[in-house]
Amino acid sequence: MLLALAAVAGAVTRILAFTPYEAHQGAAQKIYYIHVPAAMSAYLALGVVAAMSIVYLWLHDERSDRLAESAAEVSFVFTTVVLVTGPLWARPIWNTWWSWDARLNLTLFLWFVTAAYLVLRGAIEQDAMRARYSAVLGVLAALLVPFIHLSVYLFRTMHPMPIVLKPSEPSLPREMLTTFLIASLAFLFFGVALIRARYRLTPLLRSSAGGGNA
Amino acid sequence: MQASPPSLLSAAWIIARKDLAVELRTRSAFLSVLVFTLLGLATFYFAWDPSAVAAVDLAPGVLWVTFTFAGLLGLHRSFGMEAQDRAIDALLVAPVEREAIYLGKALANFVFVGTVLCAALPALVLFYNLPPAPALAALAPIALLAAIGLVSVGTLFSSMAVNTRLAELLLPMLSLPFFVPIVMASSQASTRLLAGRPLAEAMPWIKILIAFDLVFVVACTVAFPYTLEE
Amino acid sequence: MPDTYSYFVAAYVVACVVYGAYLASLWWRSKRD
Repeated sequence: MLLALAAVAGAVTRILAFTPYEAHQGAAQKIYYIHVPAAMSAYLALGVVAAMSIVYLWLHDERSDRLAESAAEVSFVFTTVVLVTGPLWARPIWNTWWSWDARLNLTLFLWFVTAAYLVLRGAIEQDAMRARYSAVLGVLAALLVPFIHLSVYLFRTMHPMPIVLKPSEPSLPREMLTTFLIASLAFLFFGVALIRARYRLTPLLRSSAGGGNA
Repeated sequence: MQASPPSLLSAAWIIARKDLAVELRTRSAFLSVLVFTLLGLATFYFAWDPSAVAAVDLAPGVLWVTFTFAGLLGLHRSFGMEAQDRAIDALLVAPVEREAIYLGKALANFVFVGTVLCAALPALVLFYNLPPAPALAALAPIALLAAIGLVSVGTLFSSMAVNTRLAELLLPMLSLPFFVPIVMASSQASTRLLAGRPLAEAMPWIKILIAFDLVFVVACTVAFPYTLEE
Repeated sequence: MPDTYSYFVAAYVVACVVYGAYLASLWWRSKRD
């Protein structure tokens, strides 16, 4: 964990001190370096939740449930960062806080579903039932993702927006690309460290809550 | 005499009839959902600026949003009725497959929601001055498809929520994200059809609805046994 | 170059707060017993 924090600190220093400003967007462009890596970690963590949900339903291994729980919490944190930094970046650049583009909506939707997952877990005290119900939700939510994506994509293409929402990715100058890669790695590492830390916490939390009938 | 246990579908039908018989006797849930729906349709009307949006454009969105929340009210009672005296245990010891319980309850919910829609759709036509025949012809099939989706997901989550501490919060929280594609597809399709656009324009959305229904009826039927206590 | 500095600061501050709050919650939960 300390190593991960050091990596993040290093990345941020590089972002702030060693990367030039982008001419058109000014300082706000630097938000990109924390926004996109956060999104990557968030999606990765959600993939873990979905996979572990299936594994749990198949194998009934308590560890997969613990991992799913940890990954869901961490993913919620990262998604929150994505959803806050995104509008803060969009507003100065495209003069709008929000748009109905597929990626934003998918992220927002995943935020809601992760919240529902965490609330569901909080509402059940028996370990086995909680694990089963969460796993069912995890699998169903994974099934739902393509529908949301398809619906919002279809919505977008049928309602062309007056402004261009996502400018075609400009090829980043080399310094920025390096910074971006460093930041991505640092935040992924951070994400993994967070999941590990949360995972190790689970036995303590369960024993202090009195555990439950298995 | 050794009677063989009922097949999946006939068991589901029996369970559906039981639920509907209970509902018919008290009618309280049905009436409250019906009143809620009609009030909802009327309330939106008062929030509307007729010079800004035409009635025919507003109506579908109003219908599907109201329908969603009304559906949640109805769904809550689906497993809520079994919670008293742990009536669910009687179902569990009966020689029926678990999936039949799900299908039966989903079917009962579908009839429930469908009946409310039979009143809501004419009310919508009335309040929003829609041309009756074309509007109903467009809305009824979409409503059918939307109801299947709503009921399939809602019945499953109802069975889960009723076993938790925060049942009234959890049912909407779990279900609404899953209702989003249904509401979006239904609204988009019906707006287009009501505006007189050709069917081909609404077809992508209708296909999404059909796909959603197929996927989630199957997925929820398979998932249901996991939500019952062992 | 447009002046977007305040947005940049806001975003980084929020990110620090969110991550920091989560780390703090992990730490506090581990100490709670």
